[in-house]
Amino acid sequence: MFKAIEVLQPNFIQRPLNELWQLISPLYSMDEEKWLNELLPLAKPTNKELEHCTNAATNLIAQVRQDDDSMSMIDALLLEYSLDTKEGILLMCLAEALMRVPDKETADAFIKDRLSVADWASHAKNSDSFFVNASTWGLLLTGKIVTMDETKDGQPANLVNRMVNRVSEPVIRKAMNQAMKVMGHQFVLGRSIKEALSRGKSYRDKGYTYSFDMLGEAALTASDADKYLTSYMQAVESVGKDTYNQKHRPTISIKLSALHPRYEVGCEERVMTELFDSVKGLIIKARSLNVGITIDAEEADRLELSLHLFEKLYRDEAIRGWGLFGLVIQAYSKRALPVLAWLAALAKEQGDQVPVRLVKGAYWDSEIKLCQQRGITGYPVYTRKESTDVSYLACARFLLSEHTRANIFPQFASHNAHTIAAITCLATELGATTEEFEFQRLHGMGDALYNRLIKDSDICVRIYAPVGSHKDLLPYLVRRLLENGANSSFVHRLIDASYPISDLVHHPVTTLESRKTLINPHIKVPTELFDDRKNSFGPNIEIDAEWTPFKAQIDTFMGQDTQWRAYPIVGGENLATANTHTVESPYDHSQTAGQIDWADTATVTKAIDLAEAAFPEWSTRPASDRADCLDRMADLMEENYPELMALCHREAGKTIQDSIDEVREAVDFCRYYAQQARSHFATPTTYTDFLGQEQKAQLTGRGVFTCISPWNFPLAIFTGQVAAALVVGNTVVAKPAEQTSLIAFRAIELLHQAGVPGDVLHLLPGDGATVGAPLTSDKRIAGLAFTGSTGTAQLINRTLANRGVAPVPVIAETGGQNAMLVDSTSLPEQVVRDAVRSAFASAGQRCSALRVLFLQEDIADRVIPMIKGAMQEQSVGLPYLHSTDVGPVIDKKAQTMLLEHIEHMTKEGKLIAQAELPAFANNGTFVAPTAFEISSIDQLTDEKFGPILHVVRYKARDLDKIIDTINNSGFGLTLGVHSRNETTCARIASRARVGNLYINRDQVGAVVGVQPFGGQGLSGTGPKAGGPHYLQRFAIEQDL
Amino acid sequence: MTIVQPIQIQVAQDVFEAWDMLCADGRADCLKTALASFPEAQRKMAHWQLENAVKEISETRIMPGPTGERNELSTQGRGVFLCTSFIDTEKATVGLVGQVFTALVAGNPVITVGPTGQEIMDAIAPFVAEGVIQNVAESAQDSLIEAENLAGVAVLCNAEQAKALNQRLVAKSGLICQLVEETDSETLSTIAKPHYLLRFVTERTVSINTTAVGGNATLLELGSMDD
Repeated sequence: MFKAIEVLQPNFIQRPLNELWQLISPLYSMDEEKWLNELLPLAKPTNKELEHCTNAATNLIAQVRQDDDSMSMIDALLLEYSLDTKEGILLMCLAEALMRVPDKETADAFIKDRLSVADWASHAKNSDSFFVNASTWGLLLTGKIVTMDETKDGQPANLVNRMVNRVSEPVIRKAMNQAMKVMGHQFVLGRSIKEALSRGKSYRDKGYTYSFDMLGEAALTASDADKYLTSYMQAVESVGKDTYNQKHRPTISIKLSALHPRYEVGCEERVMTELFDSVKGLIIKARSLNVGITIDAEEADRLELSLHLFEKLYRDEAIRGWGLFGLVIQAYSKRALPVLAWLAALAKEQGDQVPVRLVKGAYWDSEIKLCQQRGITGYPVYTRKESTDVSYLACARFLLSEHTRANIFPQFASHNAHTIAAITCLATELGATTEEFEFQRLHGMGDALYNRLIKDSDICVRIYAPVGSHKDLLPYLVRRLLENGANSSFVHRLIDASYPISDLVHHPVTTLESRKTLINPHIKVPTELFDDRKNSFGPNIEIDAEWTPFKAQIDTFMGQDTQWRAYPIVGGENLATANTHTVESPYDHSQTAGQIDWADTATVTKAIDLAEAAFPEWSTRPASDRADCLDRMADLMEENYPELMALCHREAGKTIQDSIDEVREAVDFCRYYAQQARSHFATPTTYTDFLGQEQKAQLTGRGVFTCISPWNFPLAIFTGQVAAALVVGNTVVAKPAEQTSLIAFRAIELLHQAGVPGDVLHLLPGDGATVGAPLTSDKRIAGLAFTGSTGTAQLINRTLANRGVAPVPVIAETGGQNAMLVDSTSLPEQVVRDAVRSAFASAGQRCSALRVLFLQEDIADRVIPMIKGAMQEQSVGLPYLHSTDVGPVIDKKAQTMLLEHIEHMTKEGKLIAQAELPAFANNGTFVAPTAFEISSIDQLTDEKFGPILHVVRYKARDLDKIIDTINNSGFGLTLGVHSRNETTCARIASRARVGNLYINRDQVGAVVGVQPFGGQGLSGTGPKAGGPHYLQRFAIEQDL
Repeated sequence: MTIVQPIQIQVAQDVFEAWDMLCADGRADCLKTALASFPEAQRKMAHWQLENAVKEISETRIMPGPTGERNELSTQGRGVFLCTSFIDTEKATVGLVGQVFTALVAGNPVITVGPTGQEIMDAIAPFVAEGVIQNVAESAQDSLIEAENLAGVAVLCNAEQAKALNQRLVAKSGLICQLVEETDSETLSTIAKPHYLLRFVTERTVSINTTAVGGNATLLELGSMDD
């Protein structure tokens, strides 16, 4: 870790650029406390500075509050509809979705859903703003109308109600759409640059200038990216033609994610060529018209990639020496300071200047969520708001330092009066003139603050103004409302006159240092997400410092010189047999991963003999001892992460992220079941029986358990079944899938290393006839866990039942015909992203994978081409490459079945799209992701376990029929729902007979202990794996 | 070949969704009103099963997890259950009543068998929707056991009978029909356990991306919260 304070030394940025670059990535998830201790000295004011800054902030706020126009309409709206109110959330939801709903039926239902559940009356007349009151009354009245539709007595309470009751739904819809447009109008400067320039004139007359942001979501398809590029080009042209005589010309802000459908680390080669070309073309045009370009900051995962691209562009002959090509840096990022140092050094090396907008950051909540989901060791952002403010001031001190100012033109974006005052004071202290930096604010926000500033000084203030159609405003609007709508935000408090000024001018350093800990105790680090167990760890493959060293370890297992040798393990010993099989890599059959000896019948019998004999001792051990074995197993898997990932690649053909998820799930199973066993198996439970007597019961093992697992989760499901059976006190004979026995062998080795005795746990690789049959027909088998096809589960169940012994538990996880229901309130971009991931991730070889996408017909013509475009961006390839989205299918048999289905559907359905296969596809077993449109789910007979998606259009009024059709298939594993209408979601949830329902997200990747997984009907017996009731089924409840 | 389902299965399936949607509390309330007409031992058993169900499955469990998503775990009924007893003793009838109430409160429609079943049905039917509980003659029991859409059979029997019944159930195609057997008709050691109920339910997880609409205001507040 570098010494942050050193950046203030003038020679710091004279270090070799590469040396400075090396400081960036390691800070990605750096220990927050340690890093803040480094930053604090840069932000800490002297007593004089503190006094100066506090006074300046106090004066500024007091003056702003005295101004008549202190509260803009948006400010007033945010004050009334704070996001901690139900109505605030509902309002945002309406604003986000209503205008994109094309059909009246769904729009009316959506309005009804949103308005009828909130207390709009409580907001009426609370605000002095006409806009807010008009909105409130509109919402109140329409809310009443909608609510009254529900009343059955037909006796409205008063005349007003009777009047509004007559208003028809189309009128309400029209009124609501109008209200949303009014809201949109407040946030968007214009629908086109021309309109924006015209509407912005009055502000420019006051001295403001602009940076225009073209609204829009990230591009999902190449045609989206083309559309956005054209839009940016036009914007540049329009601004270039602007004749307003002004010292600081307007600039354009661009989002790289809008200009390329795969702006991500895995596609770096494409980014550095295709995206580079697009942006370069744009910049050449901008330079010719003297219109500055700023690259907006996006998610933390893309920071390092964006800097690589920036450097390449910045060094390009066509751009070199311009001085108006800049970028945005987010202060909430732990990497912000070294990035700024690197940028200053880059500019210094080239001898020109980079404009840098310093913002606090707008994706904080999603960064936190993403890291928690991925099990990253820490966060890339600070967990306290005041820490971000500290970072902002630390960065500001560096940016305003004399040695930096020559190479970076700082643009400070903030709506916080204290930050503005602090920057101004810092600038004075460091001798920076008002020519050497500028401030920036958002259109529609902070007007009063900056009106005052601009009146009192000659500093440049630039307004960041969104331009585009109201329809495209929505995601932007949500981000802005989130940033500033929360009660705790400065904007909110500034306009709340009841909030004391003295509480608004605390220096963030003072606030942070007054905390017991620099880290926010309310936000646990991802690895400590759960109170009762450690979360599994996952490296972030998008971040160089996390991924490069990790990958290097994996690579040591990736060469052909590494071959695994596996055997049946019985009684803790490897038993060689004459039945040796070579394991070929699914992506290249000329590559082998190793060899495995399959067990013979005698080996199976021996394993059961030993397991039976070991049961009494193992089952009477304290549950905590058995749980300790699982915890050690979890740790051992994490210690052997690289090897297990290499096995996932080479034996199962799994992609990098799939392999990480595989190991994480196995680790989570062990820790979760260990915790469950300690809670429920360690001591007897006491209960009162039906006769009122107090009883004690103890859950104990049943005997020898058979575990039969599939190839699609060769480590996770295998380990999960075995761990559950073991921890309750059973002994286990485990049969892994024939295709993936090498990784199972390593798992059993690790379980033995973790302390599970050799005679308690046995591995029996082999086929169904030699190993599966005796494992299910032996009378000593006391229970069985199985994951695989419904047909095999039935066969196994029959074999077990025909042994002539008492019935035993069969815990079966079987197939599905998983659907996703999408109505017209959903966000198409999100639907496409989630549908493509759900259908094609892991080459569709997940039990939960999406097979049938039901699209409401009103949006189908919009969504289907987007699916097609997104599929064309899918990269099918070698699973161990970061650029690969879809790897091979498991073997030739699976490939043949899937290709036959594709051939069949080509005749029966309508091909939507098929992704391209790589040139080397014939070396392995690849199947191109393919999508068909069909007329009904009835056209499908059984599940096709691969990357094939079927799309069905449905009418909104037929939703219940669709649910019936899905239910009638008999399968009930997963179902996805995309809708902003909570009533619709609730209706589907209550009617659909599925085990796992996913709302407004993808439908794969259930997490142990968070989303217990398993189906019903033909899809499985339950209980759910990774859930609180799973272990009981492996046990007997005995009276004591 | 068209397989004709017994009419009782069809009737039960038609009412299944509505009964299951009532949730455990609602079903327990309905069923409690039926308790008065049962003899004391049976009533105690039935009451105990209802109380146990309310305690174990009435509330949706919120699972821990990342911020910005809500994960709920709840239970549903499995489908149509046949509840029967091959043993004709007073204690076995107490067990049978326990089975019926457990199956019902878990969300399943129930079909009982024979005169004993008829008595149980008569006592419950007035308090639940038509079709939630039905009774068939003993002669019709076999066709029900063979029915493909039967979700499970709860039975009081001896060990040999359990084996034989299990073999019949596994021979069917379609979903794996659950056999919930009690072979200890004297002490009812299986039925009278808190976890017995879980054999009659299927679990359901609902995962909601709460940030899809309205972002993550709660988290934002946490970021600014005082210690």
